[in-house]
Amino acid sequence: MRRLVYMLALAAVLSVPGFFYAWSGSAWSSGAVTGPATIRITSREISRVWVDVGRPGRGAGDTEIVRHNLFNRRIRSKPIGYAEFVCTLTTATTRACNVTIFLPKGRLIAGGSIQYQDLYELAVLGGTRLYDNARGTLTVIRTTKKPRRHILLFRLAG
Amino acid sequence: MKSLSLSTRMIAASVVLAALVAGVFAVLIYAVVTLDNAREREAATKDVRTALVGLEKLVIDLETGLRGVVLTGDARFLQPARAAGRQVDLRAGELERLVADNPTQLQRVRELRLAINSYVGDYLEPMVNLAQENIAAVRQTLARVEAKRRTDDIRRSFNELQSTEDRRAAASAASATTQSRRAIVLGVAGLVACALLIVLFGLYLARSTAHPVREAATAATRLAEGDLSVRLSERGPGEIGELTAAFNHMAEELESQRRELQTQNEKLRESERRKSELVHIVSHELRTPLASILGFTSVLLHRDAEPEEQRRYLEIIDREGRRLSDLLNDFLDAERLDEGHLILEPELIDVSRVVTEQVRLFEGQSEKHELDMVLPPTPLTVRGDPNRLAQVVGNLLSNAIKYSPEGGTVHVVAEQENGVVRVSVRDEGLGIPEDQQERVFVKFFRGDAPASGIPGTGLGLTIARSVVEAHGGSMNFESDSGEGSVFWLELPTAAAG
Repeated sequence: MRRLVYMLALAAVLSVPGFFYAWSGSAWSSGAVTGPATIRITSREISRVWVDVGRPGRGAGDTEIVRHNLFNRRIRSKPIGYAEFVCTLTTATTRACNVTIFLPKGRLIAGGSIQYQDLYELAVLGGTRLYDNARGTLTVIRTTKKPRRHILLFRLAG
Repeated sequence: MKSLSLSTRMIAASVVLAALVAGVFAVLIYAVVTLDNAREREAATKDVRTALVGLEKLVIDLETGLRGVVLTGDARFLQPARAAGRQVDLRAGELERLVADNPTQLQRVRELRLAINSYVGDYLEPMVNLAQENIAAVRQTLARVEAKRRTDDIRRSFNELQSTEDRRAAASAASATTQSRRAIVLGVAGLVACALLIVLFGLYLARSTAHPVREAATAATRLAEGDLSVRLSERGPGEIGELTAAFNHMAEELESQRRELQTQNEKLRESERRKSELVHIVSHELRTPLASILGFTSVLLHRDAEPEEQRRYLEIIDREGRRLSDLLNDFLDAERLDEGHLILEPELIDVSRVVTEQVRLFEGQSEKHELDMVLPPTPLTVRGDPNRLAQVVGNLLSNAIKYSPEGGTVHVVAEQENGVVRVSVRDEGLGIPEDQQERVFVKFFRGDAPASGIPGTGLGLTIARSVVEAHGGSMNFESDSGEGSVFWLELPTAAAG
């Protein structure tokens, strides 16, 4: 079982760069994302936890933790990673979010303010391993309501 | 090195000309094909532009539909966008087919197709759904920015495709223009070269063929007019050289045949002249003895003459009859000589005896002449026909007497020396003029004898020489005009033979 997981991870690692290349049409070096690139992946929300802080009811300071599984259906049907959203409401309708996207070759970190959860944009703040020093934007569009599915579009500058 | 024949040269020139013409046409055809390709390229570019405009219009329809929905929240505005969305793959496929010859463009079209499909699937459809649920979300600035980003990407792809097609069309047109200009230059140069070659070929033909043929025609005309000395210069390639050589050979043959004909004509004339002369001689030579014979016979028949007188008349008739007989024998001998039927009856004879008999026979024929004979003490033996040799010696003695009208001594010498018996007869008469000497042995030639009233047929010496030569000997003479002549004959001795 452990061996199977390991192989799947390896396959994901190998397949993601190929997908990136096919999608973006940009040059793709073997080591890291070294230039402008556009990464499109889909996600499915698998859990949402609401932490009501302070005065009961929805208000500033409440925290919402959301977890998505990440997919690339063109490569495989199983998730290729996951994303964790940790958001704190700043007003009744806005929230400040930190997102960590776990991908086979590293992590991407994004953050920013979200007004509408169906369409929002976050700044890519950095990353690890393959995505070390990544910069750019993450645009998220919800495509279905039940289950909640999204399209995550990374526009990386370098 | 053997020169090429005219036909080979003409074929070679034709091949060169044909190759040049083919080359010129190949260049022109290449230019036409290049222009045709450029035209096709331009038409293909137009088709690509049309397809791009069509695809762009679909994108605009998509964008417009989405904008209508976002602004109004009314899904009916989406109908044109949905219709456009259904046509995207069709139009994109058509565009891919049009740019299939250019991998870069094909890749761009595929990327454009992906971008449009992504715009529809990843943005337009979700945005329409969101518009129905949360219109505020799709009206936020981010939506417009995102829409602009995506459509900007798509338009950039359109522009790249368009500009690339424009560049290709321009390059093709420029190449076609260059090829066209080059083809025009090469075509003009080729045509000029062809014209020059044709002119040179014409000049060559005029020089190598027409000129010699014209010369041959002129020469043939002169030949037809009787100038058989005309000749052509045996120059020119192959067949022309052969023609001139054949013409010259023909002219030489004609000239030779004409000379032969002239010679034969001369011979015929000479023969005719001799025949007339013969008739004249015969009639003249026969008339005199015949007149004597007839006259004296008539006298004897009609007059009673004394026996002595009768005898004298009969002797004259006998002598003239013999003279007639000799004449006829001479004519017969001449005829036999002409036909090669001279018959000899050879035996061993002493030439001194023959000479002695003939000298004695001719002694007393003329009171004015004296015959002096010198003979060796030993016999001069040869193998020969005694009658014929006597005829020869008699002829020489007769001539010596006849052609010495003023008289004088006739010296006859017979001797043997170096195996040859030589008999010479020298007179002190008229001699033979130098211009007549070479014709002395010609049949019927008598020189100035007829004018001098000297009788004869002109056959004696001819027969004599033929008889001597038939005995294996030779006969000749020496003469100075006015100082007499020496005729001699030489016969091989029997002992020597």
